[in-house]
Amino acid sequence: MEKRNSKRREAPLTTLKAGESGIVTYIRFGHMRGRRRRHRHIMQGHEREWGFEKRLMDMGFTPGTRVTVVKSAPFHGPFEILVRGSRLALGRGMAERIFVEIEQE
Amino acid sequence: MNKKKLLIALAGNANVGKSVIFNYLTGLHQHIGNWPGKTVERAEGTLHFKGYTIDIIDLPGIYSLSTYSLEELVSRKYIAVERPDVVINVVDASVLERNLFFTLQLMELETPMVIALNQMDIAKSKGIKIDTKKLEQLLGIPVMPTIAVKGVGIAKLLEKAIEIVEKKPAKKHPQVTYGEEVEEKIGKLMEKMKNVHFVYPPRYVAIKLLEGDEEIEREIQRINPQIISAAKKLAVEIENIHGHGCSTVITSERYEAAGCIARAAQKLVSPIKPTRGERLHNFTTHKVTGYLTLIVAMLLIFYSIFTFGDYTSGLLSDVLYGLEPLFAGAFGTGIVGALIWGGVMEGLIAGITIVLPYIIPFYLILYFLENSGYLSRIAFLMDNIMHKMGLHGKAFIPIMLGFGCNVPACLGCRIMETQRERLLAAFVVTLVPCAATTVIILGLVGNFLGIHWALALYLVDFLIIFALGRLAFKVVPGEPTALIMEMHDYRWPHMKTILKETWFRVAEFIKIAFPLIIVGSFVLKLAEVAGWLEPIAAVLSPVTVVWLGLPAITGITLIFGVLRKELSLVMLAALLGTSNFAQVPGFGPVQMVVFTLVAMLYIPCIATIAALVKDFGWKKALFITVFEIAFAILVGGIAFRLLTLVA
Repeated sequence: MEKRNSKRREAPLTTLKAGESGIVTYIRFGHMRGRRRRHRHIMQGHEREWGFEKRLMDMGFTPGTRVTVVKSAPFHGPFEILVRGSRLALGRGMAERIFVEIEQE
Repeated sequence: MNKKKLLIALAGNANVGKSVIFNYLTGLHQHIGNWPGKTVERAEGTLHFKGYTIDIIDLPGIYSLSTYSLEELVSRKYIAVERPDVVINVVDASVLERNLFFTLQLMELETPMVIALNQMDIAKSKGIKIDTKKLEQLLGIPVMPTIAVKGVGIAKLLEKAIEIVEKKPAKKHPQVTYGEEVEEKIGKLMEKMKNVHFVYPPRYVAIKLLEGDEEIEREIQRINPQIISAAKKLAVEIENIHGHGCSTVITSERYEAAGCIARAAQKLVSPIKPTRGERLHNFTTHKVTGYLTLIVAMLLIFYSIFTFGDYTSGLLSDVLYGLEPLFAGAFGTGIVGALIWGGVMEGLIAGITIVLPYIIPFYLILYFLENSGYLSRIAFLMDNIMHKMGLHGKAFIPIMLGFGCNVPACLGCRIMETQRERLLAAFVVTLVPCAATTVIILGLVGNFLGIHWALALYLVDFLIIFALGRLAFKVVPGEPTALIMEMHDYRWPHMKTILKETWFRVAEFIKIAFPLIIVGSFVLKLAEVAGWLEPIAAVLSPVTVVWLGLPAITGITLIFGVLRKELSLVMLAALLGTSNFAQVPGFGPVQMVVFTLVAMLYIPCIATIAALVKDFGWKKALFITVFEIAFAILVGGIAFRLLTLVA
């Protein structure tokens, strides 16, 4: 992958304004809070972080994918996002973990 | 003549018209139940066609075949283990890329398949033109265009599916070719597994091991742990080359392949301009008009259901109670007569007067909202509020249902992704005041103390729901999942599908609730006839009289409320001999509020408990029940003391 030029910046998806697009670079995960770590041994496989990242991938947020924020619901609500030709509602907690390269004009 | 049997599975993303096709194919020959031991719905049907008896199974709507949700796991296992003769993959033509991502995974399972390219009409209205021949050629799988809601193309689809079975295509359909490095690792793993026999195809297992799929890892671990460590090593190698996790690399490449095929097969013929559906979407999700629409819609729905329900329920009740003399004539008015009428028949009437007037309209509206696409917009708008309780937007749907009846609401918690969220949502639902609880609140507090007291009680209940929801969220172990949901385009729902879905839900409700209501009502009548009610009231009096400050008789009526919540009020009127509660000595405003508060919280009714048992097992159902009884008594006692202090 070529080095990013100075006109591009990397930021969480949540920093995009309505109508803006970006290219997914990576998904940050693994920041588990202590309380949950304790319970890790009894968690079901599909409830682990692995599942969380996999889920986002399965919904199309793979690195290099172009995503567009349509809007976000008020009071820190979820984001409406266009990805791969479909319209998704994405909770803020998830959107915060998706990092995108913002295209600036 | 011995008929030939076939097994066809329908698979695809959620909301692509799978159930519409299922309904077209099977008509009323359907059976809807659960997957053994799972809270995942299983819809099966039979159909006779060209001398075949065809069993059709409608797999849950999913986006992938990993193990993120129970639905995905169940679907994958079904295809691998039961080996349907052919899988019909229903694909939404208007969202081709995402749908093909799933198709490619189905292909990796190496199952014979045909694609139903559905919603061609919606794709067309969005300006998407799909070259089916090209798509067929690119995938190496027959593609049949359909418009399921109009029944277009379904017969041809079925013919094609049978043709595939009869011809048994000699060569396997092509599969996604991943990048060179990935393919090399897949090859190495497959080499290692040459002697391993497993339900899944070897290439599939190799890919899934590289992706770190836990279910497959567990199974292979038992057979040969060396394979796992080899896979882990290879996965790290890929990670080092790409700088992303191996699972990310594979998913990425799979999506790229889906994207390539989609782009090659579809053409955007007209410039994208907002369609009617798009404008409706913008209006209903707007930060002002969206919430206004939501509030108006909710009020309208509840108003019409309660008005219709109240009227019909009264009417039915009159008609059914008109049968009483008939029964008295047949069985006499002795103990037998009392048990048959008061026990069995009144239980049955109680059930009927809930199901027809309230449950049926509720389900009709719910499925209308779901199939049209509005439900996902509601989830979008309500997500942040639900988050405060540790749930996400989708949980609003069962909670909304709970205002009608807690039973379907508990069953409706299946829409949540994980077992943990299902349980949390169901717990919250059992605290939601259902139609029967509303009867108590309005009939007692609303009637005698004024509507502002009734509203205050609702507010208290909401605060309690909120607090307990948060508490449960903290206590129950596991990861919270955030909202991630597709908002498909608005469309006019297929009425027959809605009617059938409603019918199966109602049948399910009857199966769960009716036996319990009737048995419960019989037992209570027996207790009454045997003269056990007074002693029971006496036993309960330390709680009812001393702690809650209620008349002793409420101990009995609250027991009746377990059958159906509003019975606690009806019985109270019957035992007191008046429905003008204001004139009953020792039952003042404070008692009214305390009684209502307790009735509201103290126990999920017996049918709700049955629904909880069905989906979560005895232990959890019992725990919720006991907790809520204790909690209601606690809150009731505190309220009694506080209110006495104030008054």
